[in-house]
Amino acid sequence: MCNFLGEDSPEHLIFSANATDSLNTLIHGFVASQKEKIHVLSTTLEHNSVLRPLHYLTKQDKISVDYVPFHDSIVNPEKITEAVTSKTQLVVMNHGSNVLGSVQDIRAVCEYLHDKGIFSIVDGSQTAGHILIDLSSINPDAFVFTGHKALFGMPGIGGFYIRDPEQVIPVRMGGTGSDSGNLDQPVDLPERYEIGTHNYPGIASLIAGVNFIRATGMKKMKEKAEQQTRFMIDELSAESAITIYNHKPDLPIIALNISGLDNDDVGFILARKDNILVRTGLHCAPFVHQAIDNGAGCVRISLSWFTTDEECRIATDAIKEIAHHANHTI
Amino acid sequence: MRIIRSNRHKYCADGSFMKEFVLDSEVTPEFLDFLKRFGTLEMLPGLGEGFYKFEKKDCFSIKGFVNESGFEVRFKKEVMDFTSDFLYSLLYYYQNGKPDFKTLSRREEALIERVKTRLYGSSS
Repeated sequence: MCNFLGEDSPEHLIFSANATDSLNTLIHGFVASQKEKIHVLSTTLEHNSVLRPLHYLTKQDKISVDYVPFHDSIVNPEKITEAVTSKTQLVVMNHGSNVLGSVQDIRAVCEYLHDKGIFSIVDGSQTAGHILIDLSSINPDAFVFTGHKALFGMPGIGGFYIRDPEQVIPVRMGGTGSDSGNLDQPVDLPERYEIGTHNYPGIASLIAGVNFIRATGMKKMKEKAEQQTRFMIDELSAESAITIYNHKPDLPIIALNISGLDNDDVGFILARKDNILVRTGLHCAPFVHQAIDNGAGCVRISLSWFTTDEECRIATDAIKEIAHHANHTI
Repeated sequence: MRIIRSNRHKYCADGSFMKEFVLDSEVTPEFLDFLKRFGTLEMLPGLGEGFYKFEKKDCFSIKGFVNESGFEVRFKKEVMDFTSDFLYSLLYYYQNGKPDFKTLSRREEALIERVKTRLYGSSS
């Protein structure tokens, strides 16, 4: 797993329950290690797995936060450097948006933060498995992943890679199977953060998923995803009643709305009439939706390696059919 | 018409409470004609047998497909304790196409008064 992320120190790879669990460990652990209130930067692309811990810590008066806005689905790295203040100690940002499918230039951001001595946490939930990740060259202080998305693991497994554990205090303590006579949490990795019984089936599934990606070839998988995403966006863009929020996503994610119909109704119709499952609503990313659809939410289509061309055609036709029939009222 | 069972339920992002009901008979166009007397009805007739969405303001919304014996209801959580009773009444007093409008109108009037008092602090 560590090697898959482009690193060669497996003890720095920590398994957790999921990306949210990892982000909580990192955010709370970093803030707990600070002697005084700090300034944190994040972006309006973030998921609630970042927003809620930051909101909680703001209410506790342990941090102040500014959110750098995105434009055309992208957070300009320069906007982050401009927002850094003398009190900024932490930046948390996602690598890929779970709503817009855009991938951020984290290399530029992390390089700048590294030079400034600001701790960086990158949420790679949407990118790990979809695109090649080489942490040794990107150089974030911590990188978070989840197992159940593009890494083909079971739900309930995730983790993070951390470069310098001294900067993140463990916020949960417990049994590690090592140094059991000592009531202090071990300082060694991975025991510093990995407590209690591991999710062995989850870890095994994650490694099987990674091996599957290697055997299949990430390039081949990426090309197929891009071709299918392009096909769907081109087809759906031709419909005037359909709004697509990012016409050039880097990931196989399509966010849309149909005018005259609630996004939840579109999801209901697709599920009941066509057996097509999409995710509707806010996708745990309220700031993204405030920016793109006034907080109303949208329909999100996510494609996988296992999605066939035929399924893409069927889904496209089903969405177009709904758009054709929208706005009829009795 | 009556509810046989509730299949699924969840709290929604907008704060409403969703329940999916299985009915003992199909939702017909006649039933929807009856239903729209008590709220607003939107239809997309070209989708499948026809998608419909009924809304009784401040109380609940119903959506489903015509000729299916089931639908999804979203209750406004704050008043669900008495609006769910009214939903059962709507189904019961439909009486297979011979609705008891007198009873339903009386219950609707009482319901609206209670809902307004609960939500806005006054029935006026």
